[in-house]
Amino acid sequence: MFRSPRSSRSASPTRRTASLALALLFIVAACTSGGTAILSPAPATTAASAIPSTASTATSTPTPAPSFPATLTDDEGTAVTIAAEPHIIVSLAPATTETLFALGVGDRIKGKAQDVFLYPPQAGDVPDVATYDSVDVEKIVALAPDVVFAGGNFLTPPDAIAKLRSLGLTVVVLYAPSVDAVYRDIELTGQIAGRSTQAGAMVDRMRSEFETVRAAVAGLPVPRVFYELDATGAIYGPADKSFLAEMIKLAGGTPITTGSANKYDISVERLIQQDPEVILMADAPFGVTAEQVAARPGWNVMTAVRTGQIRSIDDQTVTRPGPRLYLGLALLARTIHPEASIPSAAPIPAVPDRQ
Amino acid sequence: MTTDSGTLAPARAGIAWIGRARRRSILLAGSGLLALVAVLCVGVAMGSVAIAPLDTLAIVTHRLFGIDLGRTWPASADTIVWDLRVPRVLTSMVVGTALAVAGATFQGLLRNPLADPYVLGTASGAALGAAIAVLLPVRFVVLGFGLLQGLAFVGALASIYTVYRLSRIGGLSPLTSLLLTGYAVGSLLAAGLAMAMYLSGAALRQIFSYLLGGFDAASWPQLAGTLPLVGVGCVLILMRARSLNGLLLGEETAAHLGIDVGRERAILLALASLITAAAVAVSGLIGFVGLVVPHVVRLVVGPNARLVLPLSALGGAVLLAVADVIARSAGEIPVGIVTALIGAPFFIVLLRRSRTGYEL
Repeated sequence: MFRSPRSSRSASPTRRTASLALALLFIVAACTSGGTAILSPAPATTAASAIPSTASTATSTPTPAPSFPATLTDDEGTAVTIAAEPHIIVSLAPATTETLFALGVGDRIKGKAQDVFLYPPQAGDVPDVATYDSVDVEKIVALAPDVVFAGGNFLTPPDAIAKLRSLGLTVVVLYAPSVDAVYRDIELTGQIAGRSTQAGAMVDRMRSEFETVRAAVAGLPVPRVFYELDATGAIYGPADKSFLAEMIKLAGGTPITTGSANKYDISVERLIQQDPEVILMADAPFGVTAEQVAARPGWNVMTAVRTGQIRSIDDQTVTRPGPRLYLGLALLARTIHPEASIPSAAPIPAVPDRQ
Repeated sequence: MTTDSGTLAPARAGIAWIGRARRRSILLAGSGLLALVAVLCVGVAMGSVAIAPLDTLAIVTHRLFGIDLGRTWPASADTIVWDLRVPRVLTSMVVGTALAVAGATFQGLLRNPLADPYVLGTASGAALGAAIAVLLPVRFVVLGFGLLQGLAFVGALASIYTVYRLSRIGGLSPLTSLLLTGYAVGSLLAAGLAMAMYLSGAALRQIFSYLLGGFDAASWPQLAGTLPLVGVGCVLILMRARSLNGLLLGEETAAHLGIDVGRERAILLALASLITAAAVAVSGLIGFVGLVVPHVVRLVVGPNARLVLPLSALGGAVLLAVADVIARSAGEIPVGIVTALIGAPFFIVLLRRSRTGYEL
């Protein structure tokens, strides 16, 4: 996984613990864990501005004037008022950056969080105002944004969110622990950006693509799948009821989970006892190979190792809770069921900005 | 020691040393104050967003004295300079002062050159408090202080209180008992912290950033809450410099000098712990400052607490403010890394150069 430039300097027990925990940090940061977020209903998003019954008119008629000011509830239950359609946006969550670009308002993003797996490429032109663990509050204040999108569940440090709010900025915290929550976040983002119609259409498209995959894997055997996030030290995989576990289920597999709602490490014993039939290496980009996996002590008894069902997978589309999620699901389904034909979906085209 | 040439020579040398120490301490205080002003200016003028120095000056004079220098600036510049940079620089100074004074006090009190503000388990207590606050699903902010600051403060004080009470049971000498109890309780709390971190899931990052320390969250309300505690605590410790000097000579000697050893030790311990707790609550755990600044001061001016305490206060403020400016300009790296990186080599050079015999 990523190596941190930091190192612990003192030998006190506290510091040593801290440095030991650093490895864990990145694993957990890369995942979305379930259970902790307050899932407030976002009522306004679907009702008023849902897709008109004559969907085909979407391109010919102008978008209905979005209603501003709008008061809505973010994923942490905070009521946020958006005074007018925002023209300067800061996005501190890579998934939200993707959503905003896909909704055609990418040019309004004036600051973003650093993203190793940058998408779309145009996002590279947006200056970074945050790294994986720190937020440059000064830079954000200087941009004078109309709205700041932050990541919940500690993706954006809660201190930084409180700080931005205390300085009078409008901050919307988004966190999607499930596929349904991803849909809701996209609709919420669309409502805030004044692109409700486009967001609704995007979600409809995603739903139908998810349905396509579900139909394609229906009736296929359902193998036990271990999705390996990292195994350089301890072995990390999806927690129970996590977003990742849900995706594996939707892709026609039985996820082997850690047995805990918020822990991502799994013991070899548990893994052997659960006996994966397919092992997916999300850590393949970091140099892990199937031979290495098979050579690990004790792993040779697992069905997946004996039958050679160890495959690498591009983790980003599978785990990033944004508009490309259906591509991730299709990829996951194809990787779990290489023999089946899963229709490959075309990427959602960005909505051209109306001007 | 003396071998020949009468008995007056060492006495003269002693008097000359005291005179030198006085001159050196004035020099140190003067350069310290200059450095303090310089780092204040640099810290306010510098940041990730470029603001013209004249604009910065205009904003500060406008805010401080209501004087308009006839310049205009965007509202965001005002927020950046006045609500972000100024309180941040001042907070780093206050925390540096607190840690250095607490370190000097603990070193004298425990007669141990390795003592620092965290030696009696304060750090682990504060960290465990902070970790628990992060894990509790409660978020509130009162006057800029959240649950994290509150529980870190309480955790630090509770751990030192426990250590003090436990150390009074049993037959060991008070100092040994304090140190060992502090180590034991600290280890226990560190285990609790490790458990909390293990269970923390995605919250780990926040706990971790507390352990590394920093001034990201500094604000006027936080400064207003911390400054009185640290200020009053430091002044009260300074007023007991005589006791601290006496305790340095050993308990028996101190008792002969008319110092109520047990009482003075308890009071100094409480005061040093209070300012440490106030500091770590806002800044997280920043190491090194409290350990090294008092030593550097002693190397220059000798062990007299009347000089060591105020000069450590000044030195701590300068060192931590400089370290924070460097940390900010290096892209928000944790300030504790910087304090060690610039402090340790400086300390080694001083140790090698010092010709006077150095005893605590």
